[in-house]
Formats: sequence, structure tokens, C-alpha cells
Amino acid sequence: MRQSSPIDASLRPWAERIQALARSAGLDFFDVVFEMVEPSQVNALAAYGGFPVRYPSWRFGMEFERMEKGRQWGLSKIYELVINNDPTYAYLVRTNSMMEQKLVMAHVLGHADFFKHNAWFQPTDRGMLDRMAHHGSRVRRFVDAYGQDNVDRFLDQAISLDNLIDPFLPARELARAKDGRDEATAVHTERAFSSLESHTSVGANLPTYDVLGHLAEHAPLEPWQRELMRLVRAEAYYFVPQRMTKIINEGWASFWHSRMLTHGLLETDEIVDFADCHSGATAAVPGQLNPYKLGIELFRYAEEKGLDLFKFRKIHNDTSFIDALVDEEFAERCSLFVYDRNPKSGVLEVADRGWIEVKKRLLQGLSWGGAPRIELLDDDYEGRGELLLRHHFEGRELDLAEAGDVLKHLARLWRRPVHLLTTEREQTRLVTSDGEGIQAVDVTDDEDSQAA
Amino acid sequence: MFRIERDRARFREIVRGRLRRDLRRFLSSAELLGRRGEETVSIPVTQIETPRFKYGSNADGGVGQGPGEEGDPLEAEESQGEGAGGAGEQEGQHILEVDVDLADLADMLGEELELPNIEPRGDRMLTATGGSYSGIRSVGPKSLRHFRRTYRQALKRTIALGEWDPEKPSVIPTAEDERIRCRKEHPKPESSAVVFHIMDVSGSMGREQKEIVRIKAFWIDTWLRKQYDNLDVVYVVHDAVAKIVDQDTFFHLRESGGTKISSAYDLCLSEILERYRPEEWNIYPFHYSDGDNWSARDTERCIAVLRDEILPRVNQFCYGQVKSAYGSGQFKKDLDAALADEEGLVTCAVEDREGIPEAIRAFLGKGR
Repeated sequence: MRQSSPIDASLRPWAERIQALARSAGLDFFDVVFEMVEPSQVNALAAYGGFPVRYPSWRFGMEFERMEKGRQWGLSKIYELVINNDPTYAYLVRTNSMMEQKLVMAHVLGHADFFKHNAWFQPTDRGMLDRMAHHGSRVRRFVDAYGQDNVDRFLDQAISLDNLIDPFLPARELARAKDGRDEATAVHTERAFSSLESHTSVGANLPTYDVLGHLAEHAPLEPWQRELMRLVRAEAYYFVPQRMTKIINEGWASFWHSRMLTHGLLETDEIVDFADCHSGATAAVPGQLNPYKLGIELFRYAEEKGLDLFKFRKIHNDTSFIDALVDEEFAERCSLFVYDRNPKSGVLEVADRGWIEVKKRLLQGLSWGGAPRIELLDDDYEGRGELLLRHHFEGRELDLAEAGDVLKHLARLWRRPVHLLTTEREQTRLVTSDGEGIQAVDVTDDEDSQAA
Repeated sequence: MFRIERDRARFREIVRGRLRRDLRRFLSSAELLGRRGEETVSIPVTQIETPRFKYGSNADGGVGQGPGEEGDPLEAEESQGEGAGGAGEQEGQHILEVDVDLADLADMLGEELELPNIEPRGDRMLTATGGSYSGIRSVGPKSLRHFRRTYRQALKRTIALGEWDPEKPSVIPTAEDERIRCRKEHPKPESSAVVFHIMDVSGSMGREQKEIVRIKAFWIDTWLRKQYDNLDVVYVVHDAVAKIVDQDTFFHLRESGGTKISSAYDLCLSEILERYRPEEWNIYPFHYSDGDNWSARDTERCIAVLRDEILPRVNQFCYGQVKSAYGSGQFKKDLDAALADEEGLVTCAVEDREGIPEAIRAFLGKGR
């Protein structure tokens, strides 16, 4: 069943005009394929992470359910979806007004340029649509062969570990490949990516942050489970740059849609609607950080300072972007503040407006793609074939109840007990699971350094 | 979208599995009350999300944007959106609710408590009017003429009269050949039932007692709604006098005063006689009280009304006695002693919430 259709004739001239304008402004992108979808379909697409061909899973059904509720209750509305792929696919919702379609097309071209040029996206598979379709057919075959329940159970385990990856691994691999030989970038990209699904894990040497990779190669798995594990890992690595560049990517796209639309793309009677729509997307809700808003402000700030915006979008992720630009003037101008839960009243409140603290907290929140940094130290802990993981504590504690559930999954996968060193109330703790229960003991610093 | 609907169906199947597993808990909690719509009940789904390593509660600070002095509380706290950490993929902590068909919920209840399906009393199948133009007759409006049947009839007649000439085939219907469609009635069995929820709201019935009544009423309605196409619910409250109230009042009213149970039974009886005639309705009165009645004389009167007037007219009369700090529990003893032989009477004592499933089973387990 076809889920989308080519854009309407009325939009086609605009699509061409906006692309021409974007190119003349210096944006550069793969071919962009605009497709129209119905409002009811865009949620389905979004639930699949943008890939209508993705493998079957109740998880996407749940995501869809959530989004449908949001749509029915008028809480959320999706205007567009854009897929990092060559060609780049962009889905426009049919019910958007003409002004919204123009805005969305301009916005999408910003993303498309970012996907093509940003360093962190270089190692991603540009044929992901095909790869996802392949994953889909593999999973369906496994479901036929081993049963829905078995496949689901294993995927549940694997997916609960899908943030145990090293966000910097693909870029490192790519750099290594480039250093080694002097070939065309495309070939390197291919190679760097293929190593992500190869049999000899790049993370074979411990310690590693690529826990998923280590498991995929060394856990006692059935062949089909191993393939599923690699599949989950490949998808996780495909999506991780998007997590690492949310602010800069949205900022870049917003910067350009705003620039292009206010430079000749709008009819006079669309200007007020545009202002309304744009300010809605970049609104600063008190107490929240809107990545669109922060991103566009940072780019405008950089432009004011006469910096090279195109270089910024090429080399930075959110962390380095903020590190390079946020200073006292910026923090004050955007009225940024740090908030914390007041231990006495239990209420979240404004805690600090000092720019150094603001910047520190911003960076802390974004580091490691926003996920806790967890390293696999040993897969033969104390000679018993058990896993030892370490959570690198940077001021924020883990949700231990949930961590316990993850450890149970991990222990079942590894078929041996697993251990996690973490910090709770300034005390190092060793949390252990054998797949059934959870135990936690305090660890002295001596033992800690020994274990590490 | 075909594929997503399959994944969504799978998700709902998982939710139903969880619900089935946790049904006991739901049976004695008020969690599902107030979540019921016309056809569905929305179930809060917890514990189904994939667990991941993520930051916990000491990490819910972050960076925000906007006005405010140090020490000012954040306004938008409840809408936990994207803080600085949220620039990753942590989502707001909204609990997802999934709509489950009431019929499914009733099935689960039936399975869990091993409830038999109800055989409607007597042969009270109502004939509902419904039908289609599937009949044929020889008179009627021309606009309903059945062309083919008419010509077939004309052909038969022509052949029978020996006027048929294959060389010159002509068939001309006469008035007797006309075949006209007509409406055929399809008697459709339809079953209707009425539930009377009668509650003692005298001073001795406390919050917890009412909550128990409420939970029981919810599950009983759910079950009976599955069994009957058409279910009416009548809410009656009584202290020394009885009156019919709406659902909301029934669950929230707190009266105080004496208790005259016969007032409620009289009201119930007059409703049966006037609006819910036993020839047309399956009737289920449920009476909940803490067992204190005004006087022994009134209890005698209740027993007489039950035995002579109500029981012969209803499918089953259920008396649920909720234990309260003040109630004596005498009424159940009196009923049991006086009406032990009556099959249509079920009495049952509920100590606390844990006893709710058993009470439901006692009430609905007979399949009447």
C-alpha cells in the first residue's frame, strides 16, 4: 500500500524556487524528494522514525498510539518529517496551509544541507531507507521462523541496551579510515559503516563504550539473535548523530527557513501567519529549553560576531557548538538560567543565573548524546565470565530501579551475572543482577579502583 | 496505514495481556472507575516501556529560558518537556492510556472469576422491528416490481398456454404475472436488562464503604452490559426515605440519618411495576448496606416485600453487606434466616476491598 504521494502541482513551482534560493544562499544537499502524506499517516511515519519500511514491532504501535492521542486531543501536530538518506526524503502534511508548506520546505532544506555536510553525519548510511527495508524483511522472516513472541522478547532485551553505544565511534572509525588511505570519501564512508555490522567487532578490546557491539560479537546468542543484535546496533548508530545535534540541526534549519521566507518567498497576506507559526515553533516556554529557539539564537549570535556559519554547521555537534558560542552576553540576552529541585519544598525553581553555571549545566545535559556514559570494563570479571560495567558519574545519578531492569535483560542475554558500578548519594555502589533479582552493595574506593 | 495498524494491534494485545494479568489488582481498586466511556474503558499503561539506563530523580534540574529571579518556582513544571537533558531523547513522563473495549474487559472478568454466561429468564425475547425487501407478492406499488421474477412468471404462463413461439419470442406480462417486492419482517431477539443499585447512605456508611460499593457496581455493570444488548441502570439511595438519583450523586452523596430499608424496596418495586415490567426486562436489584436497619419491624416488612413481591419478578436479588465500623450486620442474618429457600436471593458480606472479587463471583456466579 502506498503511503505517500508526490507533491501537488500547486507546490511544485515553489519547491523548485525554494531549492534554487537555498542553493544560491550556499546550502548544498542531496536530491530532495518531497512527498505528501495525510495527517493520519504522518503519525505512523513518525512512529517508525520516518521509515515506513521498518521492522514490525509493538513499540512502534505504542508510539503511534501515543501520537494519535496527542493529535486527537490537539496537543501536538507534526508539520514535516525529513529522513537522512540520499536522496533525502521529506514528508509534507497535506493539511498544511500554503505558507506552512513553504516554511516546511525551506526548513527541510536546512536539515538536508546539515545531513550532507555535518561531520557527525558523515559515517551514517545514506542508503538507510533500503537498509531499513532489509532489516524489516529479516525481522519478518525471523518472526515466521521463531515466532512473534520469541522475536519480541529478544528485541525487548536488545532495545533496552540500545543506548549502550559509543556516539563517537563511527566518526573515529571514519577518521582512521581516511588517515590510512587516500581514497574517495564515499568509499571510506562505506567502509566505516560496514565495520559497524562486521563480524570482527571494533570494540573487541576492552574497555569499550560500544557495549552493544561487544555483546553482538561475544554474547552466547543464536545466529538469528546475533543478527537482530547487529541490526539494533546499526539502527542505534544511525540515529545517534541526530541525538547529538538536535540543537544545532534545528537551529540551522530554523535559521534558514526564517531567512529565506522573509526574503521574498512570502505573499503579503502570509506574513502574519508566518510570524505566528515561526514564533510558535521557536517559543521559549518558561522553564524549558526549546532546541529550535536556542539553536537559532546561537546561529544569529555567531552571525553577528562575523563568524563562518557554514563552518559551524560542518564541524560541530550540540556540545561543541554551545561550548564555542555561549558566553556571558549570550546567556544574558537569552535569559538562560539553571533550575533545580529545592530539596526542602520539592519544587523546581530558578537556582542560578550565572552564565558559567548555565553553560556548565547545558554541556552536562548534552554530553554523550544526553545519555549516561556507561563503559564495559570486563567480560570475565574475577575470572567468572561475568560482565562489569561502570557508570561514569558526572553529578547525575542513574534511575536505579530502571537500571536494575536493564541489568536483568543484560544478564539474560549474557547468560551470566552482570555488575554495574555506579554512584548513589556520593557512595560507589556495585549493582548485580543474575537475570532474576537485583542486589546492590557499597564499594569502598580501594575495591573500586581495583575493579576498574 | 496497514502496517502501523498491525503494530498497534500487537501493542494493544500486549496491553490486554497485562490487563488480564493485573485484573485482580484492578478488581479491588478504584483505578478504572471514571475511565469508562460508552464502549470502552481507558486503561493506564505503566511498566510497559522499555527500560533503559537513564538519569534518575536527582537529575531533574536543567537549564531553562525566561524571566524569574533566583528562587522563583518554575511555572511549567507539570508539563515535563525538554529540559537541557531533554535535548537528547528523554521524553516527558506522560502515562499512556489505551482504550480497551468494555466487552473485552467483561470477557476477562468472566475468565478471571469463571463467571457463567447468563441465560435470560423465560422466553422474553423481544421482537424488534427490522427487515428488508426480500419478500415477493403479487400486488403492490409498481416501483417495487421485481422485473426478472415478473418476466419469468409471464414466460411460464406463455409456455403453459402453448403460445410460445421460439421463432418469434415475445413475452408480455399481464396483471397476474406482476411480482412485487415486499418488506419482510425479521424478528430479532433482543434482550434488555435493568440494574438497580440501591445504596444505604445513612451515617454509618463511610467513604471506604462507598468506594467498595462503587467498585462493585462498576464491575457488575461491565459484566451485565456484555450479557445484554440493552442495559438500564437505576440508582437508588436511601436513609429513612429512598429516592432515585443520577450516577454522580449516587457515588458522591453522603447523607446521614436513620435507615429504613423498606423505603428502598418499596421504591424498587414500584419502579418494576411501572417502568420495568418483568415480561420485558431482566431485572437485577443490588442492595448495598452495612446491615443496620431502623427496627426489627421494618426488617420484617422488607422480608415480606422481597418474598412476595420482588423475588418473583426479578432474575436475582443481591444483597451485599459492607462491613463498617458502626454497622451491626444484623440485616444479612435476618435475610438469610427468613429467606434461606429463595433461590433468587444472594447475600454476601464484604469485609474490605480484597473481598470484592469474591462478592462479584457470588453475585454473578449463578448465571441467572
